[in-house]
Amino acid sequence: MLEAVNVSLGDLNLSTLAPMLIAIVGALAILVIDLAKDGLHKSFYVMVSLLFLLLDFGALVDFSGFFMQNGTTLGFFNVMLMDGLAILGQLIIVGASMLFVPLALTSKRFHEYNYPEYFALFLFMIAGFQFMVATDNLILVFVGLETASLALYTLIALHNRSKSFEAAVKYFTMGALAAGFYSFGAMIFYAVSGSVEIHTIAEVMAADGYANIGYLLVGVVFMLAALGFKVSLVPFHTWTPDVYEGSSAALAGYMSIVPKIAGFIVVMRLFEFLVNSGVVWLEAVLYAAVVITMTAANIWALVQTDVKRMLAYSSISHAGFVMAAVLIGTTQANTALFLYWILFSFTNLGGFTMLWVNRQKHLLPGQSSDHPYEKFAGMIKTMPFAAVMMGLFMLSLAGIPPFGLFWGKLYMISSAVTGGYTVLALIMALNSAIAGYYYLKLIIYMFMKEPYFDGGHKFYMMNASMSLKTIIGVAAFATIFAVVAVNPLIEFIGTLVYNSGY
Amino acid sequence: MFDHILSILIFFPALAAMMGFVVSKESIRAYGITVAAIEFVLSLVLWYAYDPAVSGMQFMEQFAIIPAFGISYLLGVDGISLFIIILAAFFTLIGIASLTETRRVKDMIITLLFLQMTMVGVFAALDAIVFYVFWELSLVPMLYIIGAWGGPLRIYASIKFFLYTFTGSLVMLVGMLFMAYFYFQATGQWSFSILEWYRLVLPVNLQLWLFAAFFLGFAIKVPMFPFHTWLPYAHGQAPTIGSVILAAILLKMGTYAFVRFSLPMFPDASVFFMVPVAVLAIIMIIYTAMVAYAQEDIKQVVAYSSISHMGVIILGTFAMNVEGISGSVFLMIGHGVVSGALFLLVGVIYDRRHTKLMSEFGGLASVMPRYATIFGIMVMASVGLPLTINFVGEFLSLLGFYSQSHIMTLLAGVAIIVGAIYMLSAFKKGFFGEVTKEENKTLKDVNKKELVALVPLVIIAVWLGVYPKPVLGPINNSVESVVQLMHEKAITPEAKAAIPNPAEPKFAQVTMAEVEVEVEGGAE
Repeated sequence: MLEAVNVSLGDLNLSTLAPMLIAIVGALAILVIDLAKDGLHKSFYVMVSLLFLLLDFGALVDFSGFFMQNGTTLGFFNVMLMDGLAILGQLIIVGASMLFVPLALTSKRFHEYNYPEYFALFLFMIAGFQFMVATDNLILVFVGLETASLALYTLIALHNRSKSFEAAVKYFTMGALAAGFYSFGAMIFYAVSGSVEIHTIAEVMAADGYANIGYLLVGVVFMLAALGFKVSLVPFHTWTPDVYEGSSAALAGYMSIVPKIAGFIVVMRLFEFLVNSGVVWLEAVLYAAVVITMTAANIWALVQTDVKRMLAYSSISHAGFVMAAVLIGTTQANTALFLYWILFSFTNLGGFTMLWVNRQKHLLPGQSSDHPYEKFAGMIKTMPFAAVMMGLFMLSLAGIPPFGLFWGKLYMISSAVTGGYTVLALIMALNSAIAGYYYLKLIIYMFMKEPYFDGGHKFYMMNASMSLKTIIGVAAFATIFAVVAVNPLIEFIGTLVYNSGY
Repeated sequence: MFDHILSILIFFPALAAMMGFVVSKESIRAYGITVAAIEFVLSLVLWYAYDPAVSGMQFMEQFAIIPAFGISYLLGVDGISLFIIILAAFFTLIGIASLTETRRVKDMIITLLFLQMTMVGVFAALDAIVFYVFWELSLVPMLYIIGAWGGPLRIYASIKFFLYTFTGSLVMLVGMLFMAYFYFQATGQWSFSILEWYRLVLPVNLQLWLFAAFFLGFAIKVPMFPFHTWLPYAHGQAPTIGSVILAAILLKMGTYAFVRFSLPMFPDASVFFMVPVAVLAIIMIIYTAMVAYAQEDIKQVVAYSSISHMGVIILGTFAMNVEGISGSVFLMIGHGVVSGALFLLVGVIYDRRHTKLMSEFGGLASVMPRYATIFGIMVMASVGLPLTINFVGEFLSLLGFYSQSHIMTLLAGVAIIVGAIYMLSAFKKGFFGEVTKEENKTLKDVNKKELVALVPLVIIAVWLGVYPKPVLGPINNSVESVVQLMHEKAITPEAKAAIPNPAEPKFAQVTMAEVEVEVEGGAE
């Protein structure tokens, strides 16, 4: 398979399609295998998906080497754009997916993993996200976005619970609305500039000195709404907590990372030139969105009673934090965005996996939701190791050094400082302090309170299997020793981002 | 041979804590004492190997962690940090040795060993980010100690403790990032090394802002009025060991950081803010002394008196001359010994009576003579009786500040007398008179375990009060070079005048190359 990357760099440059095609071929292969022999165990499908994702990842690594030497590659009638952002984005998407696929290997049986289609859809979804980031053509972005989203809605609904259907339908309707906004926005951009390619739009705008500023602003608002929905900016975030609560923890964790990084890359491509256009209004809107998203989500998270909903709000707040990079717009800020998101992926992977291993089939008497804080009370006494792990991930999310996310925060706040956004840097720092409270709340329940539910400890880790424990171990390892990886990451990401012109 | 002694001092307890998970519950105390004793011996080796004639950093270690962003693992000690490190090792040892806690003692000892790592790390770090890492990390074990073994309001107290300090530190972190950015602008390279930052001469207006950012982080930790409200709660709820470590070591992080960061990095701003800070310090001394007088709980008296004395340390630090700063650093040691000992003593009586109200006691001197004697010596040390450890520090701090302002020094001196009043009256209420309560008649005097912890503290309190030179000498030496640096870096004439040049510069190399920063108006 890997040779496919190196063949004919002809006119079409079909090799630019190779990474996505690997995922699509994988999905089709799973469907074909299912036709040939049904009733295969989920572990088979997980491993097959993993193999294809590995190939995909390998192809991307190859591309990054190619990019370092030859720069950006265009392909397929110049629709595909393999620049540093695309490569980084896909590396994160595929890498995170590889970490999340094995979460299907639970010790309890879950209905959705019995369908091979689940894994096929999963791979199709990844291909969709890959298309979304590897282009600056607004139409292909839309196609990729919708492919991925429709697959994701289905995956959520496959988790056989009434709340999951509710979540899927909610996500679907809101997503349809966002898709509408997106197409309106794209249409206005097209009307103003006569192109659907972001760099051409930017050139046309700059050439006529932003003469059509009125239309442009309308388009920006539509785009902000549509993409804001994807990356869950306040006030387009309302779906997030409900959808996270309804979907399985594994999928919720996945949703907190992969769709958002895809969204961020589109936002970066689109808004970077707008922020740099010198139109004050645009910057102000983005500034407000960033600050409100960070702060409001933090305050909502304070009052949650369910850990999963808390994590949902916290992930909104993290999204706001990362959006600041787009606003700041320097190379350091964009590097910080990717660094932050990679470190965030590992920490959040750990956090949501810890919820996933605690997943019960039935609620206990007096238990209001799947993961209320009370469920974790006194965990240090019943399951000390699990409590320490969960505590570790919470500390990392709160930005306590030397755990993973601290380095992301450090670099991000530093980029605000160097970019001249002093007030923003202070707001970011203070928001981290507010966020400290709700992460601490879980630690307090785990370490300082007495167990709340009788016999509740039987439900901790009931879902754990060797593979899930391995994933937690990987996440914990990456979270603790992140400091070692920060320098190579900064250098690698910095090179890729800088050479893409961001 | 001693090239890596600082790394060993930092990571030995952490490694031992990790291995402690394997040790069984019954043996964990002995294990903890062994580890802490080894660590203490190592810290004494550090003192032995330390060359008191050198005023700069010794035992330096360095390797780059994140070269792309100028973060490196940079360690070193000078006279200012050396003794606080020894004190941290010492208090961890006697804290574990005298531990009376029986609930989940394994968790407690492992937590204490982790805490020790962070404490030594803070005082040995010479890279701002490494400093920050340990500074923040020290919150987590303390949070757990207060929250899991504390009194009825322990959760509130532990959250308050964590959030206050965390918020202040984040603002400080922004300040650090600015500092690194200015260094980057001046030299074209990222660096978080404090020693590199010392070379940076910043314009006064930038110094003011950065001083404010760092001040918030440090002042909350000290804690200075009006940020002190978390400390009485933390002390009130924390178990004995928590209060001891908190008062003896953790609070010193704030005052130490003033000497290490604020003064040498922002000399002009320090002089500019000297009067406001001194006013805050004096309010802190007088106000908390009065509050202490009104307390009914003996532990709260000790807690407020501890805050009050921290005010004298701040005052000495902001005297900006060698006497004041040396005195305040020495007072950090003295305050650590004395307030740590007082909290241990309160713990002794609390273990026996499970109350800390002074009205419950009275006449203890006849029931527990040895206890009363030790308590008496420590009260005397606390009020600054000559020939005890605190006298040296307080005297030098006030002497130093006398050259800046007579009136304020006088006020602070009066407040120390108030301190004597409340401490002595608390001592009177508790120990003299008739034994009024039936329960008190049968109390046992201090046992061997407690004596092991208390007697060394008494010895130190008297020894360093009579003959402070072995400690004061190296401190003085290092402080001189700090003051020298401040004097040379100061830009404004007022600052030059306020920071006297130490009479005989011991160093030839103090004329280090200084880097002027060109910062455009909008960059702050």
